[in-house]
Amino acid sequence: MNGKAYWKRKLLLLFLHFLCMIALTLFLRASGNSFDSIALILTVWLVVLVGYLWKSYRNRKSELNKLLALAEQLEERYLIAEVMERPERADDQVYYQILKMAGKSMLEQIGAVKRERTEYKDHIEQWVHEIKTPITAMKLLCENHRSNLTKELLVEIEKTNRFTEQALYYARSEHTEKDYSVREIRLFDVVHQAIAENKYMLLQNGVNIELQETDDAVYSDEKWICFILNQLIVNSVKYRGPQPEIKFHTGRRGNDIVLYVQDNGIGIDSSDLPRIFEKGFTGKNGRSAAQDATGIGLYLCKRLCDKLDIGLCADSAGQGTTIQLSFHVNDFIHQVQD
Amino acid sequence: MKSKILVIEDDPVIQAELITLLNGNGYKASAVTDFSATIQTIKSVQPHLILLDIKLPQTNGFTLCSQIRSFSNIPIIFVTSCTTDMDELNSIMLGGDAFITKPYNTAILLARIASLLKRAYPTKAQTSLAYQGTILHLDSSRIEYAGQQADLTKNELKILCYLFKHAGVICARADIVEYLWDNQVYIDDNALSVNINRIREKLASIGLTDFIKTKHRQGYTL
Repeated sequence: MNGKAYWKRKLLLLFLHFLCMIALTLFLRASGNSFDSIALILTVWLVVLVGYLWKSYRNRKSELNKLLALAEQLEERYLIAEVMERPERADDQVYYQILKMAGKSMLEQIGAVKRERTEYKDHIEQWVHEIKTPITAMKLLCENHRSNLTKELLVEIEKTNRFTEQALYYARSEHTEKDYSVREIRLFDVVHQAIAENKYMLLQNGVNIELQETDDAVYSDEKWICFILNQLIVNSVKYRGPQPEIKFHTGRRGNDIVLYVQDNGIGIDSSDLPRIFEKGFTGKNGRSAAQDATGIGLYLCKRLCDKLDIGLCADSAGQGTTIQLSFHVNDFIHQVQD
Repeated sequence: MKSKILVIEDDPVIQAELITLLNGNGYKASAVTDFSATIQTIKSVQPHLILLDIKLPQTNGFTLCSQIRSFSNIPIIFVTSCTTDMDELNSIMLGGDAFITKPYNTAILLARIASLLKRAYPTKAQTSLAYQGTILHLDSSRIEYAGQQADLTKNELKILCYLFKHAGVICARADIVEYLWDNQVYIDDNALSVNINRIREKLASIGLTDFIKTKHRQGYTL
């Protein structure tokens, strides 16, 4: 509470008291009282007045500070009217009422927006499922009628599928908790799966794949990791060099199992490196190498990794990029199983 | 005898193409056309394996699966575009043997079908391929000719496996590479040449020359 503004509002009251004091002094003087007794009366008056004003100032201040602190503690501050006590002062009650009304209409708005969002999200999910039927049909048609034309079509179908997947995962990334199924998965099984999903693109671009296969297994969600690997593979192909190559290998770092996805592409500029996981960030490569860069792929990867508690970091030394996915190995799970 | 596979899928194009694909890969596939009498069709066809979609007219795959389970233990593969974990969990709870999401990789689909059939009907396992007196042992990864044997690496075995399966036909290099990729061997065109040369050396060591013939600009053939 601003003290200056508070006291400014009390000026009129003080002025009134002052006038009354003058009037009383004049009256008492006229009725023949001594200066001493008038001084005494005025002193008592002043003490009581100042005491009362000071006390009410302190009370008011502590009351409002409490309210402020309460509001600050709240995560959703617009709910303050629901949490605070109903004030006793008549004018405060009016504000309280207004606050309540504002809060209520706000909640209604939020509710409506949330409903719309969920509906839209459901629609997107539904749509993705619908579109998969024709994609499947196209894919089967092409695979059953092999020719150079259908092979090129298959590359495009893979691309179409990837974009729809991206839309699906974007819609889902908000409510991941509903779509977890964590189990023990062999990392290289997922790598094989991701390669299979991009087979035609990799073959068309003559990408050399090198695996140092191990049996490392982690506890995570297979589908999501496959999606993340898909994005990484696509990036490696998009920003490829003259003889593209992608290497997959695993390693241990402390308590983590790390999956390295390493390519020999054009790499990432060191000034861009810290920002590649930002939404919509395309950087130097996006401007020069790939005009269709959206800045969504890596952002989504990061978002999913955060939800799955997977460490994601990128490293590029001028040429080539290494992406590391680090999975916590929870000894606890093994202890429980043993 | 060919294994019978029943496709329960309402999209006509997918249905037809799946049948083409399966028939082309050594199965005898048929489809349910009248979805009000699916169970009767299953009982009359008596398939070895069922490919089941989840979204179907009049019913859904889950209900159907539990109905089938009430009278049969045949392997069921759910093939669907629904990818939520609940669907996957449901399918397993109701007795589905595998869950493949659309759009599926045909190689993966065929591999699943093969492994499920092998598990459910164990006698049919094929461990060797033969062509003109040359025998390819799949389980021990060897090639045998006139009593002499040579060891093969994983890559060489896969290449020969493809050539044996398409014996007498010209196999395009691109098709071989694609087959290898489907089998998790990621080699390119150059590496294929290297591997073929190595196989020829091994074949020569057991007295087989000119077994793999190069067709210029087309590919290889046995």
